[in-house]
Amino acid sequence: MGRGRRLYGLSAVLAALGLAGFALVLGSLLKSGLPILTWHFLTSSGPGGIGPEILNTAVLCAIALVVTVPLGLMVAVYQGEYLRRRSRRVRELDHLRATLMSAPTIVVALVIYRVAVGWWHWPVSLMTGALALAVINWPFMVAVSRSALASVPDSYREASLALGASRFETVIKVVIPAALGNLIEGIGMSLARLAGESAALIVTAGVNVSQHWSLWGPGETLAVHIWYIRTEGLVSGRDAEAAATGLTLMIGISVVLWLASRAARLFGRSQGGYDGA
Amino acid sequence: MEPKLRVENLSVWYQRQPALKHVTLSVEEGEVLALIGPSGCGKSTFLRTLNRLSEEQVGVRVTGSILLGDLDIHQPQVDVTQIRRRIGMVFQAPNPFPFSIFDNVAYGPRLQGAADPAALRKIVEQSLRQAALWDEVRGKLRRPALALSGGQQQRLCIARALAVNPEVLLMDEPTASLDPLSTAKIEELVGALRGQYTIVMVTHNLRQAARVSDRTAFFLDGTLVEVGPTRQIFTAPQDSRTEQYLTGRFES
Ligand SMILES: Nc1ncnc2c1ncn2[C@@H]1O[C@H](COP(=O)(O)OP(=O)(O)OP(=O)(O)O)[C@@H](O)[C@H]1O
Ligand SMILES: [Mg+2]
Repeated sequence: MGRGRRLYGLSAVLAALGLAGFALVLGSLLKSGLPILTWHFLTSSGPGGIGPEILNTAVLCAIALVVTVPLGLMVAVYQGEYLRRRSRRVRELDHLRATLMSAPTIVVALVIYRVAVGWWHWPVSLMTGALALAVINWPFMVAVSRSALASVPDSYREASLALGASRFETVIKVVIPAALGNLIEGIGMSLARLAGESAALIVTAGVNVSQHWSLWGPGETLAVHIWYIRTEGLVSGRDAEAAATGLTLMIGISVVLWLASRAARLFGRSQGGYDGA
Repeated sequence: MEPKLRVENLSVWYQRQPALKHVTLSVEEGEVLALIGPSGCGKSTFLRTLNRLSEEQVGVRVTGSILLGDLDIHQPQVDVTQIRRRIGMVFQAPNPFPFSIFDNVAYGPRLQGAADPAALRKIVEQSLRQAALWDEVRGKLRRPALALSGGQQQRLCIARALAVNPEVLLMDEPTASLDPLSTAKIEELVGALRGQYTIVMVTHNLRQAARVSDRTAFFLDGTLVEVGPTRQIFTAPQDSRTEQYLTGRFES
């Protein structure tokens, strides 16, 4: 009892400290960033504007998700719904996935750079960056999809099969709809994670924005922009600009997470079956 | 008359473990057959073999034959989809999908390609009426099925099974998780469906078996001990083990 209370106290103190730290950071960001966070700042390009960076961030995340969501879901369905026994192949694949998921993103990006830029002669560009993000995200997407599908009670699957549905029909018409809330929430989380990625994109998508926007042109994102102006520091008022960019990114991510959790609720996350209790 | 289902020498194993041993049993058309026996004697296994749901599990082996009319349903070339449309199932815990009431009942017909809204509405209404749920849910068909009470959910599951117009209905302890009032409603419903459908029902409730069934089969340790008219099984069982079970000398 005493120990539990002490632990509880400790965790409360830690949570308060974390919150205080976060408030401090947010406060200083607001203080230096808010004054220059104008519509002009959000939409124009060049020094004193982050319009292209916002666009690039959105495009990169969108491409990465368009590729990895179906892929991750397909792998998860295959593993979770078709291979009922955990064969050695699945375990090896899981192992690979876990390794990839825990590898530093910069390492993944260097490999992508080697392959895409070195062998295929892709330029350092949005496309190369999107490829890197897709590779970084797919193991995460598989894990998210696996756990979303696993949250669907087997009794739904049995009911569907007993009505003459095939396994495929069961997955498409029952399992995925029932898992949709959790899936959307997971997609929102991985989107937030991708939007904050910088190291991998410095290598693959570059630190410039091009005059003529193209998927094959360099595509600096918000997170990379913050890193760039903080380290290069050629621009005057770099602190304010970095802070304003950081604020923009944070607000964007919060909106994405909020929307995802709203959508998840709409599609019935945490809606379980009736289990007799 | 030809029996509706003829089970011959049916044995089932989970991995190496036998769960059913040489069961031979016929189910007459339109009757209600109750399956009773202590926990773990193989009643659910028997039921799940009848619609080949058992084969969805890894490591299940089945030998013997199950004839639905002239069709041996355990032949590998037989389409399980067809079998499961002809032999519907209701589970122990109500398991409606997390969709609307309407979409639950329409699920089976839609699988078979029914898309015309008017036709679907008709099937849904008719099935809900048959399951004695229509009066409680009319005008609320768009509500989520999970918002219904447990007893209503179970009747919804019965409606969902009836919507594909099966010939046989398998029920695995359909009232095990319900209150007495809901249980009485389901029993009444089974009485109403008798004759129209062939019903095989597992129950732990001996009085329920006595109330609703025409014939009763007693299982013990994976074997069929005896089967006969319910009245005879309950009043004059042929086998002493049946008598011991009925008088409560097995723990179940
Ligand atoms: N999926 C499974 N894997 C391995 N063994 C199983 C499985 N399902 C059932 N069994 C075993 O098979 C035997 C028969 O089980 P079954 O579920 O058919 O019994 P039951 O008569 O329905 O029992 P209850 O009245 O408790 O529902 C039991 O010994 C059980 O442990
Ligand atoms: Mg059982």
